[in-house]
Amino acid sequence: MDHKIPTARDFDAPIPARAGIGLKAQHYQDIKDRLPDHIGWLEVHSENYFGSGGQALAWLDALRQDFSVSLHGVGLSLGSAGPLDAHHLARLKNLASRIEPGQVSEHLSWSTAQGDYLNDLIPLPYTSEALDTFCQHVDHMQDALDRRVLIENPSAYMRYEHSTMPETEFLLAVATRTGCGILLDVNNVFVSAHNLGLDAKAYINTIPGHLVGEIHLGGHFDADVGGEILKIDDHGSKVRPEVWDLYEHTIARFGPKPTLIEWDSDVPDLDVLVSEAARADAVLDLYTMEVSHAHTG
Amino acid sequence: MLTLAELQAAVRDTVLGGDATSLSGVVADDRLGHARRLQVYRNNTTILLGEALGANFPVVQALVGEVFFSALAKRFVRLHPPRSPCLFEYGADFAAFIADDPQAATLPYLADVARLDWAVAEVVHAADTQVLDTGALGAIGPSDYGRIAFTPHPALRLIDSDFPIHAIWALHQPGADLDAGVNLDLGGEAVMVTRPGREVLLTVLPSGGVEFTRHLSTGAELGDAFATAQHADETFNPAQILGTLLGLGAFAGFTLTEAFPP
Repeated sequence: MDHKIPTARDFDAPIPARAGIGLKAQHYQDIKDRLPDHIGWLEVHSENYFGSGGQALAWLDALRQDFSVSLHGVGLSLGSAGPLDAHHLARLKNLASRIEPGQVSEHLSWSTAQGDYLNDLIPLPYTSEALDTFCQHVDHMQDALDRRVLIENPSAYMRYEHSTMPETEFLLAVATRTGCGILLDVNNVFVSAHNLGLDAKAYINTIPGHLVGEIHLGGHFDADVGGEILKIDDHGSKVRPEVWDLYEHTIARFGPKPTLIEWDSDVPDLDVLVSEAARADAVLDLYTMEVSHAHTG
Repeated sequence: MLTLAELQAAVRDTVLGGDATSLSGVVADDRLGHARRLQVYRNNTTILLGEALGANFPVVQALVGEVFFSALAKRFVRLHPPRSPCLFEYGADFAAFIADDPQAATLPYLADVARLDWAVAEVVHAADTQVLDTGALGAIGPSDYGRIAFTPHPALRLIDSDFPIHAIWALHQPGADLDAGVNLDLGGEAVMVTRPGREVLLTVLPSGGVEFTRHLSTGAELGDAFATAQHADETFNPAQILGTLLGLGAFAGFTLTEAFPP
């Protein structure tokens, strides 16, 4: 398989190594009016903007005038057996041409089986068969978009007995074979580590920092399942203290990285997201001093 | 060992309500058991797809309440999971499902309200095509009016019902007085949905207007559409309804069809 080397174009108009927030419809007007500090860039779920027209796209066009935008896909289902959904990929390409995103990302997971979309990011078995399928699909996606993409580690509530390698080994093999980068979701690392009995810090220490193009932070909740606690990743609350600790460990190791505050259910006032973003910026500032010339020069 | 395709088919069946026995020994038990772990995914799919349906059918949800709606949505999700990952497009066949659902049958107007919700959902995301500038019609002489064939705007939808669906819809909009109620004996309403600017507009069409508009929106010549509508209702006022359609952005353009040789 070809070993791809990122070209300069891949990094055109990149998202800055600051905090950003996930864009929600209820905040469109507020963000446009106030342009708050600590919103360094915006991220959207690509599929919400696949319509032919209407207000959502008009708002995204308008906010793109003020912010770098990252397109974060939740529907391409890169891990599904069989060919990639060409129609879906064409719609993503169309949106990317319109928005000129600073980053495009998808998930290390699958969502569609037999044509049915299950609306969840379901983990893969980490086998050589799944690795071949996943890498072919990342190649297809990068070729279609003519750019490098980032692949995000999933939050998991189960694992498969027939996996033959840990998730980090699978993810790094995808990056090596396809040239893609990694979107490291620190909350997902924490959630999966708890649910599957893994070591969250060891997971992060296995990832080479130069591959990480973006970081996600979000909230989760504890569900009592038959007397055991499962941590459920619902992006419906503030980032938990233990996850902030893991984030600081991550930034101390990698240096500043664009960091997204995700909040997708029970979405609060914009000010709550801004205060979470300010907290991420404070961590980024701690580790920005020694490399600041490289970013502002 | 299951192939990737076999594994995904088995997880799909379980997530959509099947039992988890086929995944015993495949999904690790890890203290909780494979079935409880798969139940998390089943809940996510069922609840989140139900919420997506609720977003696309807000008036249906308001009419039946959250408990009834989530049970209705669960039945629908398991029989008709989305075929596209774009959830704003999910529910094209929900109205037909409601029409056939024995529990939903207690509200005979519910399927038509669902069709209206769906029309609004489609119009929200329709293409931003310019609406027809009525000034362009000024150059056409009266003797040629009958040969005008309009191009429907991509955001035009028509929903015809035996029930007062517009009144029901309006009662469940923010700020409406729910105590006002709707008299179901008012009879049917035909609703046109358009989006001439940023906002989606709902307009009740007068008697005869719906046939006229339907003909025009399928490319019929103005003369033919007029004749059909007048046949249906003698009181029909074509100039008035045409003015309404043009003013509300029903059309994106027009052509003049070939004149017959004299």
